[in-house]
Amino acid sequence: MTSEDLAVYRGILEAGRAGRLCALATVVATRGSTPRKNGAKMLVDPAEGLVGTVGGGCGEAQVINAAKEALETGLPRMIRVDLTDDPLSWSGAICGGVLEVFVEPVFPFGQ
Amino acid sequence: MNPGFLSPSQLAPLLLAATEGGDRAAVFMVVSHPDPKQLGGRVLFCGGEATGSFQDSRAHARATTLAKRAISGDLSVLPGLQTLPLEGAGEILAYLELHHPSPELVIVGAGHIAQPMCTLGALLGLRVRVLDDRPGFATRERFPEAHDLHSVDFSDPFAGVTLHPWSHLVLVTRGHRYDYECLRKVLMRSPLPGYIGMISSRRRARATFDALRQEGIEPELLLKVHTPIGLDIGAQTPAEIAVSVAAEIVHLWRGGSCRPLQETEGVLERTFGQEGP
Repeated sequence: MTSEDLAVYRGILEAGRAGRLCALATVVATRGSTPRKNGAKMLVDPAEGLVGTVGGGCGEAQVINAAKEALETGLPRMIRVDLTDDPLSWSGAICGGVLEVFVEPVFPFGQ
Repeated sequence: MNPGFLSPSQLAPLLLAATEGGDRAAVFMVVSHPDPKQLGGRVLFCGGEATGSFQDSRAHARATTLAKRAISGDLSVLPGLQTLPLEGAGEILAYLELHHPSPELVIVGAGHIAQPMCTLGALLGLRVRVLDDRPGFATRERFPEAHDLHSVDFSDPFAGVTLHPWSHLVLVTRGHRYDYECLRKVLMRSPLPGYIGMISSRRRARATFDALRQEGIEPELLLKVHTPIGLDIGAQTPAEIAVSVAAEIVHLWRGGSCRPLQETEGVLERTFGQEGP
């Protein structure tokens, strides 16, 4: 297991044991130039912060917002992160690709 | 979620235990389903068995076949989205994830290069083990990031050390004859480590291959040996050499051309045309 996956799964385990609700984002498909590829994960643990990354500044804020939403609604959903803005806009979303990210709530064990 | 599926928090301990136990494992995660309540459900495949179920025999059978192929190293089934047709109408879209036992870095020889090598290995998330035959070298003070420190006899350096395809072996002992002896011993083992690198000069590297061929080691085995070790970045100091070796190991996982990205992307040509600025 990669060290990043290891950290994310351990994070899920610890949050579960402590009874905390978290959100998990997984990159399930990419197109074009993207900072991370398939399988990249980020755990959003309200008490511990972020574990892992789905690509830093480029689009990560959008994923974090979707994660917060998943924590509130308790519902999973797929989001599309578009990083194809104009390269001269300095928007941070200029990598040139598109990420499909599955964002879901992670309930403590047994819930 | 149907009771057959594992939730992420049910999956985590099972998956961690499987890979820590040296098994490969495949996980399907449902990302699209005619019944939205099933989203995020997982099924784990490991050691020929499934934990969890799609509760649809057609989808489950398809997933079982794909998981077996992925686990056996069939490169036509890669991690990514997979379509699993349901018995009636409709289909499931599931993300297939493949996990290996945790990769490790085994450094033989606890000298100058071993120290930065250990730091970089730990930074890359490898479980680092350092072996030496001299007292006072493979010590916790010198290798604070190492997971394991072994005192060994170079006549049989890997006695009591398990090597597997996720082991990366770096031979950097104090003397070429020890490196050679360790290399010869490791090539006789099965399974082989996924990476075998040996520090060497160009001349010594040629002499090593000649000697191994004379000993009757198969040419396919020799192709697994990286010597001289590392990528050509002009490394000279121990730290620079460790960076060059670490880069070679990352390249082994990720592929890539080993050329400057500016060159492979043709940025200058695209900006200025073939003639350059």
